[in-house]
Amino acid sequence: MRAISWIAVSVFRESVRDRVPYNLVLFAVLLIASSFLLGQLTAGQDVKIIKDLGLAATAVFGLFIAIFIGIGLVSKEVERRSIYALLAKPISRPQLILGKYAGLVLTLAVNVAVMTVALYAVLAYMTWTESAQFQSAWDAPGIDPALFKAVFLIFVELMLITALALFFSTFSTPLLSAALTFGLYIVGHFNADLRNFEQVVDSRAAAWLARGLYHVLPDLSAFDVKTEVVHGLAVPAGYVAMTTAYGLIYIALLLLISTVIFSRRDFK
Amino acid sequence: MPPAIKIEELTKDYAIGFWRKRPYRALDRLSLAIEPGEVFGFLGPNGAGKTTTLKLLMQLIFPTSGRAEILGQPVGHVATRQRIGYLPENPYFYDYLTAEELLEYFAQLFGYGAADRKQRVAALLDKVGIGAERRLQLRKFSKGMVQRVGIAQALVNDPEVIFLDEPMSGLDPLGRREVRNLILQLRDQGRTVFFSSHILADAEALCSRVAVVAGGRLAASGRLSDILAFEVRGWELVVAGVTPAMLARLTPVAHRTTEISAGRYALELSLDHPPERVLADVAAMGADLVSLNPIRDTLEDFFVRRVAEAGSARPGQEDARARD
Amino acid sequence: MVAGAVLCLAAAVSLQVARDRIYAVREQAAERILYVRSGEAARRLTLDFDALAADVYWIRAIQHYGGDRRAGSGDRRYELLFPLLDLTTTLDPYFTIAYRFGAIFLSEAYPGGPGRPDQAERLLRKGIAAQPGKWQYYYDIGFVYYWHVRDYKAAASWFQRAADQPNAPNWLRPLTASMLTTGNDRAAARFLWEQMLQSDQEWLRRNAERRLLQIDALELIDQLEAFVKRYPPPPGEQLTWEWLMRRSPLRQIPTDPTGTPLDLDPVTGHVTVSRESPLQPMPDLDRRSTR
Repeated sequence: MRAISWIAVSVFRESVRDRVPYNLVLFAVLLIASSFLLGQLTAGQDVKIIKDLGLAATAVFGLFIAIFIGIGLVSKEVERRSIYALLAKPISRPQLILGKYAGLVLTLAVNVAVMTVALYAVLAYMTWTESAQFQSAWDAPGIDPALFKAVFLIFVELMLITALALFFSTFSTPLLSAALTFGLYIVGHFNADLRNFEQVVDSRAAAWLARGLYHVLPDLSAFDVKTEVVHGLAVPAGYVAMTTAYGLIYIALLLLISTVIFSRRDFK
Repeated sequence: MPPAIKIEELTKDYAIGFWRKRPYRALDRLSLAIEPGEVFGFLGPNGAGKTTTLKLLMQLIFPTSGRAEILGQPVGHVATRQRIGYLPENPYFYDYLTAEELLEYFAQLFGYGAADRKQRVAALLDKVGIGAERRLQLRKFSKGMVQRVGIAQALVNDPEVIFLDEPMSGLDPLGRREVRNLILQLRDQGRTVFFSSHILADAEALCSRVAVVAGGRLAASGRLSDILAFEVRGWELVVAGVTPAMLARLTPVAHRTTEISAGRYALELSLDHPPERVLADVAAMGADLVSLNPIRDTLEDFFVRRVAEAGSARPGQEDARARD
Repeated sequence: MVAGAVLCLAAAVSLQVARDRIYAVREQAAERILYVRSGEAARRLTLDFDALAADVYWIRAIQHYGGDRRAGSGDRRYELLFPLLDLTTTLDPYFTIAYRFGAIFLSEAYPGGPGRPDQAERLLRKGIAAQPGKWQYYYDIGFVYYWHVRDYKAAASWFQRAADQPNAPNWLRPLTASMLTTGNDRAAARFLWEQMLQSDQEWLRRNAERRLLQIDALELIDQLEAFVKRYPPPPGEQLTWEWLMRRSPLRQIPTDPTGTPLDLDPVTGHVTVSRESPLQPMPDLDRRSTR
């Protein structure tokens, strides 16, 4: 257990030295600049748009961090062979994989937290400078705690994508891992279409295949509650709980397979 | 006492080729036993299987057949790794860390407490000769300095058995001497050192026993003195104060005479001229004896000969040489 | 080296400026191409960033409307307004403001809009499909029927449905009733526009203000015409404001609420809002005033 946490800290430190935090600065600047520019353009919709933009940017920046650091976790180490010295230490291969994953989740958590704080700060400023009458017309309050639900689900989605990246990187090259992870990200968001395939297509076999794929591939669009939260629509706690549980189980599955592959691998 | 390292019929095949995978046997039924406290040299040309063996011992790769044990436990036993150290060939560590941070990280993985770690790291870096650079990121280190850090990280946990893959690689002569002294120190402390090298002079200076592998197979193994004792070819007698008259009497005995400087000659005596007789003659003549040394094959001669014998027939391969 | 880079940048920028000046027309035409016309296609392309894409289309819709309005030339007929709003609302079905903006400005007759109340209704029906309980959408359709289509029975039935929705305001029911009885009544109109003054959206408020000024102008016109009737000019003299100022208590040329002088027809004695007035085009409301 302790070994896992040391490895996790090491991964976190690597991400910091790899200049990942500069992303955050970029994010904050983007958000603040947009909030000033948007005021004139949008016929009073600036709060909605800032929320949309802030949540989308959190998801996108998080995605890039997840993929690019995720594939580095194992692929880069194996390619550069720094893994040889590491594996000679008294840690098992499963511990190594889990430690790496924990480190990346830690990195993501810190990044997402900072982005969320920046978003709330901008929203706070906008709320503070807007008249009360104007505010009463908003679908949802400016500093809306429900935003946190959207952020939370985005975070769980990012953990899933990281697990995917880690899984691919246990057996393939960095470039291929990145491409496959990104590809699955896109497919995972088209899941809804897979489910409705049978209504659109005549062949039963194709419909069955689509259904099968719908269940097997990660259902990423379920994690997207951004629109609901921004419009002040209800997102039941039960939904959040079930979706999170789905995510965690899928992650456990990926980590399990990754551990098995990694434990049997020759490091030539 | 059980051997520190025991290798039994260890074999590793790789499947190479894209469509029809043919097996490439990197290591063929290697069997060795290394006793505790030995400095064991694992020698062979490039591609002989030295690094493969070390990786199998570190369980970086898995054997096709055969087994190995370290300190009585099968290879891969995690707790045993608390008592061993490993330096990979051409090591690469995390270049965004400083030397101190790297050693500190590995010390964490061994489970040392914070104060203990600090002390160990400082002592180790001193021992391998890394001074103020220890605060620099490893990406700024030269190859020789990385090698030193590599040796340091292999010793973090005061290991009983140390595995070194080409430990002298990248070091200048001064560095090599320092590493040699280090290995001798480890031996004096009763630790077992298993190192692979293709530099024979190092083995000659350090090892009590060696093994020679070539083409994936064990070509020879045994005590260094035993191996080389077989090969005494003759004697070299260096005499001074030799007058031309004396020289005329001595030359027929030697099968080669070399003039070193005025009056000083080196005579190569073959085995059928026992040196004691010649010595007596030299003394009787009134010349001065400078030195008398056995001429033996160097380890290099032995090595080249054995490798040539073993090298061409790697099992299952038609064109091993072409691949090298 | 650095100087060279700066020089290159300067050259590139000046080329760009020159090109823009010469080929300005090309840029305008390109604007009018919507790469993605279908809402469903857009929805697929944006993965789960629909709401943000909807925002982008919303901004484009406003700029399109604003741009065409400012341009004022004859060939700008706001033809992209409906597709843009349609895309916006397909991507984000809860985007209330887009529906309501469409309701007002799609129905506006040219030059204020494309004059397509049918498109407005289509858009609003979409809104209702997404959020069936929103009384504002039913109300907006009713308004379109009332003001632009002039079908008072249809308007009343839509207002009725609005009144039936949860959280509907109390004044909707009496409005329904008065719609059925008085129809084209100025009071009803004034009442409706005054409701809109309460809106949170500034552009809706400004629109309502303008409408109310128009109604004020009509009231003023009634009074002036009654006044003018009392002073018929003798034969040989023209009925003009100047004549009236000499022969009646009138002391200055009457202006509409924007300050533009009103026109007086010397033959019929009718007073009308000048063609130059910003209030044009004036709505066609019955002269009955039951203030």
